[in-house]
Amino acid sequence: MSQTTAPAVDPTTGQRLDKRSSYDFVVVGGGPNGLGIAAYLSKWGFSVCLVEARPELGGGADNAEPIPGCSIDPHAVYFYGAAGPPLEQLDLASYGFRMSFIPNYGGCITHDHRAFFGGNTFHDSSSRDPEVYVEMLGVDRDTAKMYLEFMDALRPRMRDFFRSIYWTPPYDESWGIPKAQTPVARVLRDCLPMYDDAMLDMSFNEMMDALALPDPVRAGLLLGSWGNGPHPYWKGMALPGFACTQLQFFSGCTPVGGMHALAHALARCALANGAKIFVNSPVSEIIVHDGVAKGVRVADESLLEEKTIWANMGVINNTHVKSLPKLVSSDHLTKTFRQRIADLSLKGGSLYVANFIVNELPEYSDAPERYEGSNYPSGMALHCTTDALMELMRDVHTYRMHPTDLDHYIAWYIVHAPHDPTRNRSNLPGGVVTVNLQVPAPEDHKDGPLAVNDAKYEILDNLKQVLRHYAPNMTEDKYIKSVINTPYDSEQRNMGFVGGNWMGMRQSEDEWWARKPLPELARYRTPVEGLYLCHQTSYPGGLCLSAVPYNLMHILKEDYSEIEATTPEWWYPSPWHLTDAEGARGRSSLSTGGDG
Amino acid sequence: MSNDSYTRHIPPFSDVLSELPPQFPDETETDVVVIGAGPNGLLAAAYLTAAGLDVTVVERRFEIGGGLATEEILFPGHYANTHASYHYMVDYLPPLTDFDMAGQGLRYHKPYGQIGGVFGEDYVYLCKSFEDSRDALARFGIDQADAYGRMATRFHQIVDEILAPATYLPPDPPVDLTQALQRTAIGQDMLEVSEMSALELISSYGMRDSIQATLLYSACQWGLSPIESGVGFMVPLMVDRGTQKAFIQGGSHRLASSFARVILRQGGLILDNAAVVEITTDGDSATGVVLDDGRKIRTRKAVLSTLDPQSTFLRLLPAEAVPAEVRDAADGWVWDKWSLLSVFFVTKGKPQWKPNPNNGMIGLPTPFDTILGFDDTEDVTSFFDSIEKGEIPKFAGHFTVETEFDPTLSQVEGEDVCFFQMPAPYDWDWDGRGDEVVREVTALLDSHYEGFAESVIDCVVETPKTIEQRIPCMRRGSIKHGDYNPLQMGFNRPSVECSSSRTPVNGLYLGGASMFPGGMVIGGPGYIAAQVICEDIEVKFPFDRPDRLKRYLDTYFPDGKD
Ligand SMILES: Cc1cc2nc3c(=O)[nH]c(=O)nc-3n(C[C@H](O)[C@H](O)[C@H](O)COP(=O)(O)OP(=O)(O)OC[C@H]3O[C@@H](n4cnc5c(N)ncnc54)[C@H](O)[C@@H]3O)c2cc1C
Ligand SMILES: Cc1cc2nc3c(=O)[nH]c(=O)nc-3n(C[C@H](O)[C@H](O)[C@H](O)COP(=O)(O)OP(=O)(O)OC[C@H]3O[C@@H](n4cnc5c(N)ncnc54)[C@H](O)[C@@H]3O)c2cc1C
Repeated sequence: MSQTTAPAVDPTTGQRLDKRSSYDFVVVGGGPNGLGIAAYLSKWGFSVCLVEARPELGGGADNAEPIPGCSIDPHAVYFYGAAGPPLEQLDLASYGFRMSFIPNYGGCITHDHRAFFGGNTFHDSSSRDPEVYVEMLGVDRDTAKMYLEFMDALRPRMRDFFRSIYWTPPYDESWGIPKAQTPVARVLRDCLPMYDDAMLDMSFNEMMDALALPDPVRAGLLLGSWGNGPHPYWKGMALPGFACTQLQFFSGCTPVGGMHALAHALARCALANGAKIFVNSPVSEIIVHDGVAKGVRVADESLLEEKTIWANMGVINNTHVKSLPKLVSSDHLTKTFRQRIADLSLKGGSLYVANFIVNELPEYSDAPERYEGSNYPSGMALHCTTDALMELMRDVHTYRMHPTDLDHYIAWYIVHAPHDPTRNRSNLPGGVVTVNLQVPAPEDHKDGPLAVNDAKYEILDNLKQVLRHYAPNMTEDKYIKSVINTPYDSEQRNMGFVGGNWMGMRQSEDEWWARKPLPELARYRTPVEGLYLCHQTSYPGGLCLSAVPYNLMHILKEDYSEIEATTPEWWYPSPWHLTDAEGARGRSSLSTGGDG
Repeated sequence: MSNDSYTRHIPPFSDVLSELPPQFPDETETDVVVIGAGPNGLLAAAYLTAAGLDVTVVERRFEIGGGLATEEILFPGHYANTHASYHYMVDYLPPLTDFDMAGQGLRYHKPYGQIGGVFGEDYVYLCKSFEDSRDALARFGIDQADAYGRMATRFHQIVDEILAPATYLPPDPPVDLTQALQRTAIGQDMLEVSEMSALELISSYGMRDSIQATLLYSACQWGLSPIESGVGFMVPLMVDRGTQKAFIQGGSHRLASSFARVILRQGGLILDNAAVVEITTDGDSATGVVLDDGRKIRTRKAVLSTLDPQSTFLRLLPAEAVPAEVRDAADGWVWDKWSLLSVFFVTKGKPQWKPNPNNGMIGLPTPFDTILGFDDTEDVTSFFDSIEKGEIPKFAGHFTVETEFDPTLSQVEGEDVCFFQMPAPYDWDWDGRGDEVVREVTALLDSHYEGFAESVIDCVVETPKTIEQRIPCMRRGSIKHGDYNPLQMGFNRPSVECSSSRTPVNGLYLGGASMFPGGMVIGGPGYIAAQVICEDIEVKFPFDRPDRLKRYLDTYFPDGKD
């Protein structure tokens, strides 16, 4: 227990009683990744100061309560990080973090009412009967058997599969390690009889072809990939696409109380270990002396009297990689580098998010009876076929999509209420249920960013129509309140969501693994010594997995002998991690990196 | 939805992960559980953790803070202080000097202009500087300035010497208190004041009606009847502190999160989304709490409830654990006379006061709150009377442009946040007449602010019902967890058995707004509870008493209190 300290500043007069603030590390941004690294470093024993621009911590891990007793998720909705080391290493449960596991992640209904309802059996190893899958997936017996075998082979290595892809720092491109030797390829080759290196170059859609999965299960998985990772038609992204859909089934949950509970747990871990955290304090500059990051300057509007916060060891940037040239003076970044950052694509992750507060659960007319109670589907892809999804993506990526075109309302309808009663603290008769909806949208619009905002109410009406089509009980009188954040609003709310892009920037092969966000930045280092990246624009991208801070710790351990020397017993690295020295020895060193 | 829908299923998951990720244990043990993370619960937890105790704070909502809420109810992109915005006691709150609150990011700002009162053609302007207020009132005549000066000086002495320190010490039986106060002239003054109603006291200074009306509204707006006597000591407090109100930069929630930081650093645990459904007992002792998801927390030393007496004694505790007189007192608990209606607006640009060359308003900094919509003192008096009877005679109240003092509440450039608030009855057709509320309030503001109606972008109405929905211990929208009347104040709050935090249930303490000295963000109940708990379990209270408290005790209780 640390001692109470005397006031440094009188909160009523602002009179300063201390001298200068300096910490071992300064973290810029209090999103889940910023909070995660603050928690790691402070638990490791270093002094940390985190500064966040907004009035609330949490970045995308946020909740709001637009009507009393009913909280909504403006951004992230599911926690997928159960399989990763951070939950355990940071012991988030001891700070109150709770998960409600979801037996039925949901399904998909096509516009002509072909329905897939995943449910318990979908991934339950105890149901061995291929006939069940014949019925559920709408496939023949051979395909069902193939699918079962595939999952049987993968299931025992599922955690390794996840960790090899998310919780491992990317290799340096210059080491020349071929794709077939990346951790994920090694894990799959090891366990999947049907594994083929060709999978590495496929799109997720092509992988579905290989597994012969038809709609609607296929369309559901494709939308799952779109919503949690790469677009299903992007080449070379089959495995990341597949992985993020499996996170839902095997590593996902509803965080009890909402996603902001994750931010609370991370922040409390950091605070309990001595970190300082300030909100309402946008950083205007990362101070660099002689090529080394020395601290940050907070903007004038910050509450802090001290406008400069010094970092004795390093500065960690939890803001979008595109803000790097704004925060670091041009003296320290070359023109080419700045241009390369400016050229990074934001395409493909923007969403309209609507939250409908209603007074009863949608009852899907296509649902078999057994999907009730806690087996109620948590997420449903509605109005969705593979073809329609491909068409939508084409239009989104070419900015053609019109926000009020009803054909484009392929949406992911998410309901937490059956799995998390804390979401219903209202005393309204019958209680309340929030239906969260996410629709792919262009990050910008041909008629300007506000075109979407102007169409807000029309969009809400269309979404209600779609929902009612599949859940006829959702008549107008069931709606208590509806709110929406467009890509434009999401960016206004959170400077990390540039273009309203939920994952910061795209997850395509040219910006993935050793190239994310740029090859020279892939190992979280920057051209400025002592300045590191810890945002979803670094590998492995969007999602609140705390993977970025976990991976970054490997690199910091290499760069700082103080960190290496104080490695605590709770830390364990990724078995596939290669240090710079190991990597530089190239392929031969792979034998020293464990295979899980 | 029932509790068992907290499915701790471990469906396909378990055969994938050889070990499940750790979960928060179903049963834990701690020294003290604090029920409710409002200002009082958090303050108490800060002191108790500083005393070296193992403390778990449990809060029902998804955010801590209780009345200290700064939330994005104007979604997306605009925050509002849903509940408390005006901080009356920043000059006295002990934790502000005991803990490094500024080091956690807490900053107060006391606006220069504190109260604007618009009554007929008069514009009454009161500032945080006593002399500047007098100057502003001198416009109505030097005699007016002098009368105000006499009143303000007297009120301030009473507050500074008696009421403020007494806020942070357990209450005394009325006889003892009367005896003690007899010792000084200020004490005798205070006794005299206590017997008067707000209206009598304020009108006794012979000030112009508009000044009286301004002061009367300020004294009574949080739930004091203008004509009831016996709680007259509240008037100096509300009037004196009403001109010393502060705003918290970044919103009132910052006070809660600063406390949380102190608590966590000192080893405490805070659980949100955790509603207490039962206080467990063994014989006549409290032994812990049960949460709504079935988790149990056992206490080694104490349970501190900051909830209202009905929640604590009638709902959470088993009937047999509570003595009949305490149950009866809880049963007869009277909720606040009235609640509040708040209408929050997002506007394009800050509302601009309509220039009126006659009222001398031009050029003065925007006051923290502006009282609008009343004619005169009589109107104010009859307004409160109607509200108490459950009627809304008209829409009139106070108005604050929040982003004037704290631009961070709006995340969208060029858009501002303001709110109108007024006393309001709980029993009213809030659902059916919501549109009327917005229309009337907008019209009122439009009549005083240039182009107001047109500038409105978004609007949210928070009614007495929504207050209760967000915070159920504010039953019937009771912002103070219970009425201010002579039978529920001082030594009687919430009942003679429980007003010093101890209760007849061993190991159970009270410390919320329903306890002495009462509601608002004053921290008294929490501070007293922490002192009493430390005393009872024989750990040293971690800080010396503030000098002001020592002086008060030396002056009025030279032989000590029992
Ligand atoms: C609609 C939507 C749905 C999503 N659904 C899910 C989901 O279901 N599950 C999931 O895991 N993930 C989901 N995500 C993604 C998830 O929210 C993000 O991946 C995650 O928030 C990224 O965390 P971060 O810390 O890298 O960045 P952010 O969350 O963007 O945090 C960055 C922080 O830095 C702050 N900042 C920016 N500039 C400055 C500055 N100059 N000074 C100080 N601070 C600054 C920002 O205010 C922000 O708080 C979703 C996102 C969206 C938008
Ligand atoms: C609209 C409004 C405006 C106000 N304006 C002001 C103002 O300007 N200035 C001022 O000083 N005061 C103001 N107040 C009053 C002030 O907010 C309260 O008096 C004060 O918050 C009381 O503090 P507390 O800690 O005793 O209780 P609370 O703040 O009510 O906190 C109690 C906490 O307990 C929690 N809780 C309830 N039941 C349970 C349970 N079963 N288990 C666990 N937790 C539970 C609640 O969620 C809450 O967080 C206002 C109140 C309202 C409603």
